Amino acid sequence: MDSSPINNTNGPSSPDDSFSSPIGATNSSPAPSSTRRRRRGRRSSTNSGYRSPPPHPSPSPSLDPLFSTPSSDRRAARFPSATPTATPTSFSEPPSSDPENADPDVPPPTFVWGTNISVHDVNAAIKRFLQHFRTNPSDLESKYMQAIDYTLQLEGESIDVDAQDIYDYDPDLYGKMVRYPLEVLAIFDIVLMDMVSNINPLFEKHIQARIFNLKSSVSMRNLDPSDIEKMVSIKGMIIRCSSIIPEIREAVFRCLMCGYYSDPIVVDRGRIVEPSRCTRQECVAVKSMTMVHNRCRFADKQIVRLQETPDEIPEGGTPHTVSLLMHDKLVDAGKPGDRVEVTGIYRAMSVRVGPTQRTVKSIFKTYVDCLHLKKTDKSRLQAEDPMEGVIGSIGSQTADVSPDYEEKVEKLKELSKQPDIYDRLARSLAPNIWELDDVKKGLLCQLFGGSALKLQSGTSFRGDINILLVGDPGTSKSQLLQYIHKLSPRGIYTNGRGNSAVGLTAYVTKDPETGEAVLESGALVLSDRGICCIDEFDKMSDSARSMLHEVMEQQTVSIAKAGIIASLNARTSVLACANPSGSRYNPRMSVIDNIHLPPTLLSRFDLIYLVLDKADEQTDRRLAKHIVALHFQNPETSFEDVLDLQTLISYISYARKHIRPQLSDEAAEELTRGYVEMRKRGNFPGSSKKVITATPRQIESLIRLSEALARIRFSEWVELADVHEAFRLLEVALQQSATDHSTGTIDMDLITTGVSASERMRRENILAATRSLIMEKMQIGGSSTRLLELLEAMKRQNTLEVHLNDLRNAVITLAAEGFVSLHGDSVKRT
Amino acid sequence: MVGPAVDCLLNPLGAVRLSFEKVASASDGFDPASLSNKDWGAKDVFQKFLFDEGGLSQVPFLDIENQRWIRPNSLVRFRGMVQDMLGNEFYIGAFKDGSTWKTNKFADVSSIDMGPRPEMQIWERSLFYCVPVPGQNSWSVQSYPSSSLIHRYHAMSSSQHGEKRSRGSIVDDVESNGSNSELGGTSSCFKKQREEDLPSQALQASHCSQGHDADISMVSNFNKKSLSCLVKIYDSMESELKLNDVVEFIGVFTFDPELVVHKTNSDTLMDDLCEDPLAHLPPSKVPRLHCLIHRKLDIQDFLVGLHIPEPKPSLIRGIRETLLRHLTSVLGNDGVAAQCILLHLLSTVHARVDSVAVGKLSLNLCGLSAETVPIFIGHLNLVVQSILPFSQCIPLTVEYLNTTTLAPRKDYQSNRLITGPLQLVRGTHLTFDETRLISGTLNSVGVANVRLLKNLMECQQVEYEFDYYKMEMPADVQLLILSEGKSNILPADLLLPFRPVGITSVTTPTEEDLHAWRWYLASLRSYSHAIEPEMQKVIEDDMVAARQGDRTLGAADFSRWLTMGRLMSASFGEANLSLEHWQMVKELERLKNERFK
Repeated sequence: MDSSPINNTNGPSSPDDSFSSPIGATNSSPAPSSTRRRRRGRRSSTNSGYRSPPPHPSPSPSLDPLFSTPSSDRRAARFPSATPTATPTSFSEPPSSDPENADPDVPPPTFVWGTNISVHDVNAAIKRFLQHFRTNPSDLESKYMQAIDYTLQLEGESIDVDAQDIYDYDPDLYGKMVRYPLEVLAIFDIVLMDMVSNINPLFEKHIQARIFNLKSSVSMRNLDPSDIEKMVSIKGMIIRCSSIIPEIREAVFRCLMCGYYSDPIVVDRGRIVEPSRCTRQECVAVKSMTMVHNRCRFADKQIVRLQETPDEIPEGGTPHTVSLLMHDKLVDAGKPGDRVEVTGIYRAMSVRVGPTQRTVKSIFKTYVDCLHLKKTDKSRLQAEDPMEGVIGSIGSQTADVSPDYEEKVEKLKELSKQPDIYDRLARSLAPNIWELDDVKKGLLCQLFGGSALKLQSGTSFRGDINILLVGDPGTSKSQLLQYIHKLSPRGIYTNGRGNSAVGLTAYVTKDPETGEAVLESGALVLSDRGICCIDEFDKMSDSARSMLHEVMEQQTVSIAKAGIIASLNARTSVLACANPSGSRYNPRMSVIDNIHLPPTLLSRFDLIYLVLDKADEQTDRRLAKHIVALHFQNPETSFEDVLDLQTLISYISYARKHIRPQLSDEAAEELTRGYVEMRKRGNFPGSSKKVITATPRQIESLIRLSEALARIRFSEWVELADVHEAFRLLEVALQQSATDHSTGTIDMDLITTGVSASERMRRENILAATRSLIMEKMQIGGSSTRLLELLEAMKRQNTLEVHLNDLRNAVITLAAEGFVSLHGDSVKRT
Repeated sequence: MVGPAVDCLLNPLGAVRLSFEKVASASDGFDPASLSNKDWGAKDVFQKFLFDEGGLSQVPFLDIENQRWIRPNSLVRFRGMVQDMLGNEFYIGAFKDGSTWKTNKFADVSSIDMGPRPEMQIWERSLFYCVPVPGQNSWSVQSYPSSSLIHRYHAMSSSQHGEKRSRGSIVDDVESNGSNSELGGTSSCFKKQREEDLPSQALQASHCSQGHDADISMVSNFNKKSLSCLVKIYDSMESELKLNDVVEFIGVFTFDPELVVHKTNSDTLMDDLCEDPLAHLPPSKVPRLHCLIHRKLDIQDFLVGLHIPEPKPSLIRGIRETLLRHLTSVLGNDGVAAQCILLHLLSTVHARVDSVAVGKLSLNLCGLSAETVPIFIGHLNLVVQSILPFSQCIPLTVEYLNTTTLAPRKDYQSNRLITGPLQLVRGTHLTFDETRLISGTLNSVGVANVRLLKNLMECQQVEYEFDYYKMEMPADVQLLILSEGKSNILPADLLLPFRPVGITSVTTPTEEDLHAWRWYLASLRSYSHAIEPEMQKVIEDDMVAARQGDRTLGAADFSRWLTMGRLMSASFGEANLSLEHWQMVKELERLKNERFK
């Protein structure tokens, strides 16, 4: 029942006290510091408290400001005078206006006003806690005594107190602290000061307790009137910081007549009273005092706006915001965009209709008086999160991880331990695209990526895996691309048609014939550290493609603008898909012939998959069924045992961020062995024919793939199984794309040069035949012969099947040697 | 219960208070905390008055016209879109005045001096910023009560003038009292301070007013005649209302055009903390509405004063026939285009699976050249405007794309959501005229806009810009693209080359026809739909066969067929897809494909 701070239920003190809190704010703006004065009053009395045991907190508004010690100042920094805060101790209306309130003496002095908190008890409880709490029973000294020592050595100003520790040690104290934070924190500080002076009586600074890590944090949305004046902990994102407001705490005046410096005058009700006359007995000049700015003391203050993080916003809602009041060390502790968890006291103050009107609207403004700020881990995809410099002693800002994030990670880790996680992830990838299992596995590896390596010499090896899908139209290549784009952090989806690789702008062109408007956009730079999905790769302009060479190996993009060549990072994986140049893929031709891509570019893809449409009625029916179900049935098309998109995304991002696998010795050995074996396959015993089945690029790919596979398992070590699977993946891809159809073996030359070994052999044979033919038929300096005639002669003489084109190529080679000269169609021996 | 003693229409607050006092005095151990964020029966009083006693028709709509004569603190109703949510507000809900408890609920300013008061309850209410529905066509705007009703209203107000005045005067008295005491008391000390702060204050004020002007102009861009409104909702689960919902609010209207907002004196800290969206929506410019009852509206609710015909199949067929005929004549006798447009106008997103919005059918009419555009687009827009409640036409040019921010965007300076052309309510029809697009460079704004539009086309989602992140908001917008060639910027589901046969004189439809069409489009859209297993088999077979014949057909095409099938049978008012309608869709596809040859 005691949940509302306004709700008076008991209390030895006058009921008005506890009620005054929200209203207190009402009038406090014209005279806001009545609060503070009271506080100071209390502070001063409690200061004496630690000298004479029973702290007498009874405040008296008539207490002289001069009575205040520096401590009041410190206190005030936390609860600044200018904030029209209303503490239960305060009577904000001018004391004279209400005789009842003018006598606020609380009858039993050991109780906090209007509550059943005994100051003495709380004091003792805090002392007990600080002196005896140990995280580990075997620890020699209490955690917080150590902390105090440490702070003293550093001459710090605060110690962080984990609320969880308080709860563990004394739940009752925790409850009181959350319920009556102002009072309990005040006592907390007194106890701390007491202890500090015991340890080091000469220590001048005043140590404050900063509470953090409350047991439960409130969602911003659920802050309601019952939370007013309580300690709350909320999470959110900082969206705006005000400039730092210097707030005067003490002013010093100098007499213009005699140069006498006054004693520091402390802020009273948000105002400094300028002495009307010099206080020096000898001078007493009237209106001669002027403020000396550089001898005044100021405190920093800042107003920060906190907004709900996107995940807390219900669907169809907009984020809520709350204002935070920061002081001293907390100022500038957070920057816009930071995700933070804030512990503070929820306050309300009323709004006046206008300055001239005493009546107030019946509305309150709320804010959080901040005690502690903790940056929470960004549980987001964007890997790179530069460690921000640690500022002062505020919280443990660096490695703080929110519990629910930890929980999430725990879940992911559990998931990763499942033996079939690799298959399961592959299945979860675009579940409504069937078949293509190996392609999906390859894509999965791309999503996880290998680790990039930078040698000291400056050379770097990319960790990104590039994949090319080649295949018939209508084989859901584009859907796969779209899906990966959705999944990947900073993914960019672009169409090969009109991609200029650089620049953030785009150009609209209109096809003069069809009137189709085409958009040319730059994409690669935008997908730094992401996956750049390029659809219709074959339609990309040559200039853009040449840019890709650089991107895919050096991972930079160079642009020349206004005479300056800038190299921009483009650490991106490329996932491209290309359609064959004929309407359908011709299995009789090589990949290069099919898609008309330069071999130099092709060899930069780690995996090249052929996605061929096998006119299979079964798959067609499956597609039809799926779409009908999508439209007419309960739209929960359930795929068994499949991870949802969110889980998949967080799984990938976690792995990308935290797992850096390394090659184990046996894995490295296996890699070498496998590679040698692959190359050996190109040597046919007893044949002079040499086919290159693997190139050094492949071993790099293999390393990347096995690293990615280890990442999938959240494993720090690349194991044998990963290497085997990497070999399998690579071979599947090669089988599809690099098989020489005339011999049926894998031939890397097909990819690296576009010409298979068998083809090259044939060309050499033709060349030799042509050479001997010309030697035979033609004289040096004799008349020229037409190419067609040569062809005829060759056909007659040779069993080789020769085309005119082949012959022309051969003659061109010979011409280059200076053996013949070729003019148009006529060949002349030189 | 409450007798006719208090007029709910002209003195709603009186009725509220009366009901509160009844509850408060009913039991001795009255605990106001128990009423926190609960209704104590005040809503019942109004429910009874509005719906049981037919009071609803007397409640005037709040708009620019009516606002001139509606008295503050009377009951009004307001229809609008939830444009922004401004969070919650704490207020003194109940307080003890002497020995009795009083309430402030449904009021801005307390009726009596809210000096420091020992016993009170803090309650909370949610704030919504509502604007008239963007793109609302004039026929769907309800503007009654008629003049006769206004007269009655005036008569009523004069007859009850005594009571009204007495209530109003309390407020006045209090305010003057307040300022008097201020003058007598501490004003001298204030004065001094005011003088000191004057320059900076003036500066602030001027800065502030600039902000206001910009803000107001932003709002008025929405609709020149529009009136936006700050609605305060009580006792409701906040999740009940969502952004972009169309809602009718009935509540207490407060508006203070004379009240000049005073800058609170010197205390900058207070300003900064208070600085919030409300500062930009001063009560002198944006009326407040304390909502008693609200309900979400659907498109059907905008069919003003229509007789709802019994949905007899023959009747629906008839309406379909006339509408199709009209569309055909508007489209220069292009029957295929008319059919496609009809299906397009009936489309709505009825399910979302992953990111696929099932049921949308965006249409791209291509083959429009600069000459034909002015003729047909004008007619088409006119038709769309006259039969759909919300519609907008956006000419797509490079300049437009580069300069307009299409997506709503959060402005952290004012802490408000600045609306954009793509903040639309469910069921809005949007026409993009791409024929005016010429070559040019898109800047980063333009690229972002194009991405946004594409996303809207493909997923029916709009990304709202929150600077530090983006928030995807689901949309349900019918998109029609008119272009010269196929639009690559806005890839539509259905692409149809437009082949007008000639320009026919378009007859203006009768009012009766228009009514029927409006009803037809609004209600058939929401029909549920199913498919028989046998039919399902037929469709699957057709698809497999089609794919065996043409390997380029993919999931997107099949998806479109099914959407068209569903809409086709819906256009006949039938709940099951029949073979006949499926054949019609296939025929339509065939006719469409023929045009590409």
